[in-house]
Amino acid sequence: MLRGMTLAIQLSNVVKTFGAVRALDGLDLDVRVGEVHGFLGPNGAGKSTAMRVLLGLLRRDSGSARMLGRDPWKEAADLHRRIAYVPGDVSLWPNLTGGEVIDLLGRMRGGLDEKKRADLLERFELDPGKKARTYSKGNRQKVAVVAAFASHAELYLLDEPTSGLDPLMEAEFQRCVHEAKAEGATALLSSHILAEAEALSDRISIIRNGVVVQSGTLAELRHLTRTTVIAETAAPATRIGDVPGVHNPQVQDGRVFFDVDSDHLDGAVAALSALGVRSLTAHPPTLEELFLRQYGEDVATVANGDVA
Amino acid sequence: MSSALTGTSRLLRLTLRRDRIQLPLWIVGLGGMIALSALAVPGVYNSAEKLAGYAASVGASPVSYLMSGRQAGIDTIGGITANEVSQVAQLGVCLMVMFQVVRHTRAEEESGRAELLRSTVLGRHAATLAGLGYAVLTALLIGGITTAAMLAAGLDTTGSLTYGAGLTLLGICYAAVALVAVQLSTSARGALGIAGTAIALGYLVRGLGAMQDNALVWFSPFGWAQLMNAFGDERLWPAMLLAVATAGLLALAAYLTAHRDYGGGLLQPRRGHPRASRTLGTSFGLALRLQRGSLIGWAIGLFFLAMVYGSVIPTIPDLVESNPDIGQFIGASADAEQALVDAFLRYILLFMAVVSTGFAVSSVLRLRSEEESGRAEAVLATGVSRSRWVTATVAVSGLGSLILVMLMGIGLAVGYGLGMGEWDQMLGQVGEQLTYLPGVLVVAGFAVAVAGLLPRRSMLAWVLVAVVFFQTMLGETLRLPNAVDAISPFWHLPGVPVEPIDPIPGLVELLLAVSLALLGLWGYRRRDLASN
Repeated sequence: MLRGMTLAIQLSNVVKTFGAVRALDGLDLDVRVGEVHGFLGPNGAGKSTAMRVLLGLLRRDSGSARMLGRDPWKEAADLHRRIAYVPGDVSLWPNLTGGEVIDLLGRMRGGLDEKKRADLLERFELDPGKKARTYSKGNRQKVAVVAAFASHAELYLLDEPTSGLDPLMEAEFQRCVHEAKAEGATALLSSHILAEAEALSDRISIIRNGVVVQSGTLAELRHLTRTTVIAETAAPATRIGDVPGVHNPQVQDGRVFFDVDSDHLDGAVAALSALGVRSLTAHPPTLEELFLRQYGEDVATVANGDVA
Repeated sequence: MSSALTGTSRLLRLTLRRDRIQLPLWIVGLGGMIALSALAVPGVYNSAEKLAGYAASVGASPVSYLMSGRQAGIDTIGGITANEVSQVAQLGVCLMVMFQVVRHTRAEEESGRAELLRSTVLGRHAATLAGLGYAVLTALLIGGITTAAMLAAGLDTTGSLTYGAGLTLLGICYAAVALVAVQLSTSARGALGIAGTAIALGYLVRGLGAMQDNALVWFSPFGWAQLMNAFGDERLWPAMLLAVATAGLLALAAYLTAHRDYGGGLLQPRRGHPRASRTLGTSFGLALRLQRGSLIGWAIGLFFLAMVYGSVIPTIPDLVESNPDIGQFIGASADAEQALVDAFLRYILLFMAVVSTGFAVSSVLRLRSEEESGRAEAVLATGVSRSRWVTATVAVSGLGSLILVMLMGIGLAVGYGLGMGEWDQMLGQVGEQLTYLPGVLVVAGFAVAVAGLLPRRSMLAWVLVAVVFFQTMLGETLRLPNAVDAISPFWHLPGVPVEPIDPIPGLVELLLAVSLALLGLWGYRRRDLASN
């Protein structure tokens, strides 16, 4: 079905405005077939708007959009038989039961896997006989998750899918994504739970103000940023700041703290070793730090604060 | 007790702030309609002959008794004005307070917004009291406008004051009914159903009592307001009945509030089926399922109403015999009796069709509430296209309207059959009632068009319902300009059975209804979908 297609989602230069607000301001996003793609950004960055453009609920002002090789606005209904969607804020029909909603959405998508439905209900400990009116936020979320994964979709659009789920259920959700991926499915996962994105994503795009500012594997993204180094040296490392690529050096009681551009890690370590290294810890930036670096104006302060 | 009321005034201010658009619309819309009518009527009945003629014909007709009760001083200009105004004024004020109370109490609780407020310094009874305060305020405004308009029209001062007071107290009484209803049901829709039924019952009981001139009028708040005899032999003690009933209902509402959980009602939600039935798998199946409850409610209500109307038809000739004036006025012959029955039927058929536009519009506007709640998003993210989603809902609205109109025809015939023992009227009644269906469908089509093209202005559909209601009740009396009459699709249809059936206007309106729906569909296909 996907022969010859390498990109499940391809957005290029997509613009979507609401009045004076440019929610998407030339968004580029490539999601490869078979990958789980993390879609990170703060509130209001345009993640949900992008999802809704992909779902054909919003009409893009300009730019091109392809999903599974087709136009998400013009061919919405046909495309939707091949995708599954989990929104972050699920609202259900108050007088329908969870089980009825799962069946309804599954049938409208073109059928669901009975075995998987039963299995998922058990795994998520969801009572399908209760009216949606009586479900908590987490249980409403579970209904959408079960409905999505009970069918075998080619592409999963997951818009902050675990909001309201407890950690056990969140782990169960991650298993669902892994299973879907093992079957060859693709997923676009928007989140601001970075641990979740880190655990699931093959590649990550970071969006800010409607533009993707960074895209790549976690390793690639790390490469673009700095490693934090803490070392104890025999001779005081007072001149470490002169090494290219070293930032924010601080020397204290014979210990030195600094950040170094990943490209210059080699030079910094060589400089330290010339001073006689007694102990050395270096940790690559966490996704948290990557994220903050993209958004925070005061990244350096935050990073230093962490170290100290 | 004082702590249970803490925060009432702040809540009331919030209510006023939230309704800063809606409240003026109600006051200007309803108050304006009443004032306009009150100011216009004296100009129409400007001679002694016209006054006497009104008292003998319109004022003594079964339609008038059923719709407006027996008005005191019907041979004076004050009585005539009150009689003409009262249907719009009384039903209007009751519906207004019902919508306001439910909107600010149960709907808030159902949406979860009230939870946030409850967590602040807010007493348990504050919401109820703020709802009551708001309803009292708006009912006073409408009552005040009515009295002011009547005084401006030069009507009797005592009569004008009494009429306005009765109207205000009636509104407050039904606000108390709504406050009980919101404790009983866990959903706003359910509460509106209970309160709406109570309004319909009170109105119907007063009408039947007036028609048969018996004690039934003493069993309805509408009757109590009228028995204050504005413009006749004014008396204030029936107002005590309204006050006592209001106090009793408020005590009941307070008791229920204190004995239920937040978000809960008296009826606990039942468990449902863990699997969807076979029919719940398409957009049509979903639309049908979502509207099933309200359609059944409307069907029972309108069928019952039609049956009651049908059952009083046989009493119309008696009414003529017992009232020589009216017989003299229209001529006491068999033909004249038949003319009276036909006039009654025409009014009933038209009135019920107009009432059923309420179902049609609320049914179509499900599209809006589904869209705004984000539930449409869940459906449209599956293989259902927008066209199919819209078409399914509109099909349910259209079919539902058809079923309601047919049931009203059957109900009339059944009521008539029970009274007369004649059962050969069935097909004819259904056919006659069906001639009014195109008007209902045009209103529904208009609702589809606004929902599709002007989603944020979808209240316009309700404005059309209000205009149609107003035109139907008062168009002839006020001699509105034809341009205004023409807004109502029912104005263009033949007044069956007084006028002969003519299929052309109906067919044209069917085409118009379909065109409006297609226009709405076109709007839906090209616009963004709102999301929460």
